[in-house]
Amino acid sequence: MAVMVRVKNDAPFAAQPDDDMVVCRCEEVTKGEIRKALHDGVCTFGEVKRFLRCGMGLCQGQTCQRLVLGIISRELGLPVSGLGHITGRMPVRPVIMEELGKSTEESKEA
Amino acid sequence: MKRYEMIVIGAGPAGLSAAIEAAQSGLEVVVFDENEWPGGQLFKQIHKFFGSREHQARTRGVKIGQNLLEAARGIGVKVVLGATVLGIYKNKEIAVRLEGEVRNCKADAIVIATGASENMMTFDGWTLPGVMGAGAAQTLMNLHGVRPGKKILMVGSGNVGLVVSFQLKQAGCDVVAVVDAAARIGGYGVHAAKLARTGVPFYTSHTVVKAVGAEKVEGAVIAEVGADFTPIPGTEMPLDIDTVCIAVGLSPMSQLADNAGAELVYDPAKGGYVAALTDEGETSVKGLFCAGDVAGIEEASSAMIQGKIAAAAAARDLGYITAADFETKAFGYKESLAKIRAGMFAPGNKGRTDIVQTDEGYPLSESLLARGFLSDAEAAAFPAAGIGGGGGGPRPVIECTQNIPCDPCQDVCPKGCILVGDNITALPQIAGEKACSGCALCVGACSGQAIFLVNETYEDGYGTVGLPYEFVPLPQKGDKGRALGRDGGELCGAEVVEVRAGAAMDKTPMVVMKVPVSEIARARFFRPESEGGI
Repeated sequence: MAVMVRVKNDAPFAAQPDDDMVVCRCEEVTKGEIRKALHDGVCTFGEVKRFLRCGMGLCQGQTCQRLVLGIISRELGLPVSGLGHITGRMPVRPVIMEELGKSTEESKEA
Repeated sequence: MKRYEMIVIGAGPAGLSAAIEAAQSGLEVVVFDENEWPGGQLFKQIHKFFGSREHQARTRGVKIGQNLLEAARGIGVKVVLGATVLGIYKNKEIAVRLEGEVRNCKADAIVIATGASENMMTFDGWTLPGVMGAGAAQTLMNLHGVRPGKKILMVGSGNVGLVVSFQLKQAGCDVVAVVDAAARIGGYGVHAAKLARTGVPFYTSHTVVKAVGAEKVEGAVIAEVGADFTPIPGTEMPLDIDTVCIAVGLSPMSQLADNAGAELVYDPAKGGYVAALTDEGETSVKGLFCAGDVAGIEEASSAMIQGKIAAAAAARDLGYITAADFETKAFGYKESLAKIRAGMFAPGNKGRTDIVQTDEGYPLSESLLARGFLSDAEAAAFPAAGIGGGGGGPRPVIECTQNIPCDPCQDVCPKGCILVGDNITALPQIAGEKACSGCALCVGACSGQAIFLVNETYEDGYGTVGLPYEFVPLPQKGDKGRALGRDGGELCGAEVVEVRAGAAMDKTPMVVMKVPVSEIARARFFRPESEGGI
């Protein structure tokens, strides 16, 4: 397991021309919002996710994980390998509650 | 709870191969796949595969998919479609969404073969409709019969970008440009060359900076990038396109392995986070295996072998085959895997830019790497690609100049005039000048469409060039048009004097065009009058 090192970017937040670029399409989170969060002390993918909902939408981070990791890595000067990843949890694909509610344990052959 | 001996997740090349292998050893196997169709990416792969006979070289992916599916069903493997695995719990218990409900079942062994997802990149306008993954464009075309757009910008020149660009051309789209931020084309030179000679321009050290349009893509701007891969101001170039396809790599879909408790490692060479695996494909969770792209991005041929190794290991662990049987099988599979993982584009060479010559010591074509086509001078320097003196009659000219694992040319030549040898990454050599009967099997068999049949003594002052032509409408004998060079530029007038489209060509017809003898070494494509080749 990679050892997590807490790093904060203490430099004052400086706007970049593409800060309004949407990075997480599902939850409509912009690059600027992610960068600001990193200046506020957030420093792993999991924290960005909890703070801004990146990766909590329909695609479950399939699209944005790599992009967000790149932003964190550049902003904090850390290698991607130490930034963590989205935790794989049931359900790894979207499922509607009704179907989840019909969950069967036995009898029917899957 | 229903218990299976093996559950395979994903009915792509790795998953189906694993299922077949396990079933052959006597295991009861079920394969779950969330899609409507089995086969993973195989049914989109309308091109011929590389490798050797044992890797099903020169067979199209779609056919390999059909073969695998038939073999799986024939041996009693249950392939369940529309079955989305939602999670893997302790003790290899699985939750699968099927027919409107979530069902749970267990397995003694699980093979995760969930493949990969396409990487995206951000640029101004990247969320506009009309920007899509190259794989998505391929799905639209090859599974749904829908053209993704009319005028395409392809971003990324790895094999996915190159293959999909060619298929877009085949579907009738105009591929306006292929750009890559790297200074070298990332995929096989032969894939680039078959695109370049149709007139598709390559822009290496370029990237897309903007997709333009209010509601959808109506244009794009590309720019040259510096050493730091950022655009150089002042180099912007507008392109008239309506679709941007992104082919900038794939990421393994490791969520289920993570969910099952397997240790993940970050490995950029494998495409990101992947489960840490033994050389049998087993994760840190006993009995839980990964095979195919989810184990690290490669291609379908190695995915199939990885699937077999994992399944054989599971069969051994469950007592269906002896350790000795496993060793025998695994030895063969690993040898086969080593063959296909060799050469300039082997996984171990990923990202390398310092390879400057072939294994045989020929300097690599810089033009091919930077612009997608061999320069005339470079082509002449390769033994099988040069025209040389040559007597009368047809003979193959093989423009295969990079070490890639492939030998169908050697395999199909009935006269034995093409030699690759046992090391299938070696460049092909022409064995004897007179042996060629002009059968054209090599032209149809070459997965890279890099073999041409030339004859400089067709008639006084004229020779012929036979070229692979996988486009519709197929030109007919007597059709007139223009001969194009390797760069897609028009060279001279040309007339089709013969078309070979028989079953032996396996849908890679050879179009033979008559050109002045002086152009034989340069003419590599035919543009019919009807398409502007006047």
